[in-house]
Amino acid sequence: MLETKNINFYYGNFHALKNISMKIENNTVVAFIGPSGCGKSTFLRLFNRMNDLIPDTRLTGECIINEEDIYQKSIDVTNLRKKVGMVFQKPNPFPKTIFENVAYSLRVDGVKDSRFITQRVEESLKDAALWDEVKDKLKKSAFELSGGQQQRLCIARALAISPSVILMDEPASALDPISTSKIEELIHILKKDYTIVIVTHNMQQAARVSDKTGFFMLGELVEYSDTKKIFMNPEKEETQNYVTGRFG
Amino acid sequence: MKKIPLNVKQNIAFGTFRLLSLLVVAILFWILGFIIYQGAGVINWKFLTTSPSDGMTSGGIFPAIVGTLCLIVGSSIVAFPVGIFSAVYTSEYAGNGNIVKFIRIMTNNLAGIPSIVFGLFGMSLFVNTMGFGDSIIAGSLTLGLLTLPLVIRTTEEALKAIPDSFRSGSLALGASKLQTISRIILPMAFPNIITGLILSIGRISGETAPILFTVAAYFLPHLPHSIYDQVMALPYHLYVISVSGTDLEATRPLAYGTALVLILIVLIINISASFLRKKLQKRHA
Amino acid sequence: MKHTENELLALKEEVGQMWRLVLSQLEKAKQAFEGNDIELAREVASREKRVNSFELKIDSDCENFIALYNPVAIDLRLVLSLIKISITLERIADFADGIAKYVIDAAGNTEVEDLKDDLKIEPMFDAVIEMLSNSYMALESENTRFAGKILARDEIVDEIYRNAIQVLAEAVRNKKLDPENGLKTMLVIRKIERIGDHCSNIIEEIVFYIDAKILKHSKKEEAKD
Repeated sequence: MLETKNINFYYGNFHALKNISMKIENNTVVAFIGPSGCGKSTFLRLFNRMNDLIPDTRLTGECIINEEDIYQKSIDVTNLRKKVGMVFQKPNPFPKTIFENVAYSLRVDGVKDSRFITQRVEESLKDAALWDEVKDKLKKSAFELSGGQQQRLCIARALAISPSVILMDEPASALDPISTSKIEELIHILKKDYTIVIVTHNMQQAARVSDKTGFFMLGELVEYSDTKKIFMNPEKEETQNYVTGRFG
Repeated sequence: MKKIPLNVKQNIAFGTFRLLSLLVVAILFWILGFIIYQGAGVINWKFLTTSPSDGMTSGGIFPAIVGTLCLIVGSSIVAFPVGIFSAVYTSEYAGNGNIVKFIRIMTNNLAGIPSIVFGLFGMSLFVNTMGFGDSIIAGSLTLGLLTLPLVIRTTEEALKAIPDSFRSGSLALGASKLQTISRIILPMAFPNIITGLILSIGRISGETAPILFTVAAYFLPHLPHSIYDQVMALPYHLYVISVSGTDLEATRPLAYGTALVLILIVLIINISASFLRKKLQKRHA
Repeated sequence: MKHTENELLALKEEVGQMWRLVLSQLEKAKQAFEGNDIELAREVASREKRVNSFELKIDSDCENFIALYNPVAIDLRLVLSLIKISITLERIADFADGIAKYVIDAAGNTEVEDLKDDLKIEPMFDAVIEMLSNSYMALESENTRFAGKILARDEIVDEIYRNAIQVLAEAVRNKKLDPENGLKTMLVIRKIERIGDHCSNIIEEIVFYIDAKILKHSKKEEAKD
């Protein structure tokens, strides 16, 4: 389970996240929506500490994954990121073969057993619904794949190390509608085994894939509840204005 | 006055630009043609493989070629590791703090120092203080220092050209920073780094001033035995036979021949650089 | 199969369940009416609540489906027609409930018993039950070939209805039937006739969903070909 308690986050003097508390149950899909710059991506990146890479940032509050505050001193960030995978907005496969892309996380983890690696690569590609399309060209460069395939490769790559949580930062915004719907289908399937947190600009996408939706605005979590409720009968007027497209 | 139509203006502007860039090419070919015309006559197997003789009015330039190659290898050994690692440090690790800014400014200043000053510095530090004497090692260290800013800058540019998405992609998979750099970033930047390195070799091979006081021999008709020996070098040899030979008129063709060899070495290096980069990029793309 | 398709199938199945329930309500109402079976009539009345909750459930599921999946084209038509069908089914169940209540109310009243054959209530019941179950088949098989036939049954129902008015009026005029009983019986017949109309509406919705044709308020003749 993911939980944040009174999270405040600052870029320099800019107060990017304001007192956000949220619980995310296991094996659910949670979508974050909101206008650009509302803090949803920043909030997403808290969960695998990608914000650490940005200089001059500050965090207060607790961010708990599986009963452990991931911002404790004793936490090894690389281990955290093995448990909390991430898929980015633009497909970013490495300039390696398809096989090596998926095997990468295992290799950096120090796995030497090549039989195990081969097995995990196959499983991950199957889980990412890509196996049938690439099984005959595992030794080919990942750049030969289409954009949608590359994104699913990136998902497979994240799955290889067996995370429990997958963060997706607008995973389909750079893709065509067919590839997008493939990614969305994949999310429905992956939900069985993973907790998925997805940031999206596309409200319909949030509606289609998620169980719960959080609406962010100006660094605040305006409303967080069942997706059905957000899109049928939101509590707050801001949410209503946003999901109906009257604002933002 | 009638207004000049926009497309005419544009044609005039681009016509001028085209003319100027063609001019550059023309000048280049002029120089090359001149050197080839003057120097091609003296180049033969004997010229390339024998030592100068008769007070440098005849014979070949073999020791100078070998000397230049020695200096290229030596200064590469000095400059490449230091340059690459410091570039990796400044662009990947150090962030954007004041220390890094200071290092950058200093590197740029280093690049702006005239090469003769490097020569003097090399003489005082390596030749005298460290006691290497006029030697390949002293010359290599001096040339290495000279080329360091170039190596650092081209390596930094190569690293910066790698989009951040690859770094965050790797880090998000639980790779450490070192793993990210060694397994993703450096291999990706490699084609551009190697190009930068080869270009800096081209620069080294043409430098005269830094080797003047640190390694170059006026006349040394045999090959070096160790890195503590002096050597002849092509640029210095060219200088010598152009201005201070025993018979300048007699050595004129030899000077052009030497210049041609030097240019050919640099040209071969540059062409192989772009060839290598294309090949490497194909492998990585 | 796609996630959206699964959701749509689930919606359709829900409506199917409601449909089967309403059909059985109607059949039981008929049996109760024909046999003056008060027990059965009570059962129908008590199961009316289940139909209502079905309608509410389908309503909100359809709303959610539209809100979350923004269906278009055939998907949108299906959801829209499912909403309307579930409302119509609920009305049909209301009529079945009304008939059951009449049976309970009119317990022991033998006056109408003798008229039942003349009124042709049983064939009327059979006709609307057939319409309802055939339109269900049409939705299940996504086939509108028999839409015309189903709609034609409604005309038989209407004819029986017009005839029944005459029969009842005659009976009341001849003092064979207490006017109050006559009116109450009239209401039952009226209910069955309305069920027939509602079944026509359902088949029109199905045609709208499958063929995107709007039959409503157009001449019935067109639908027959």
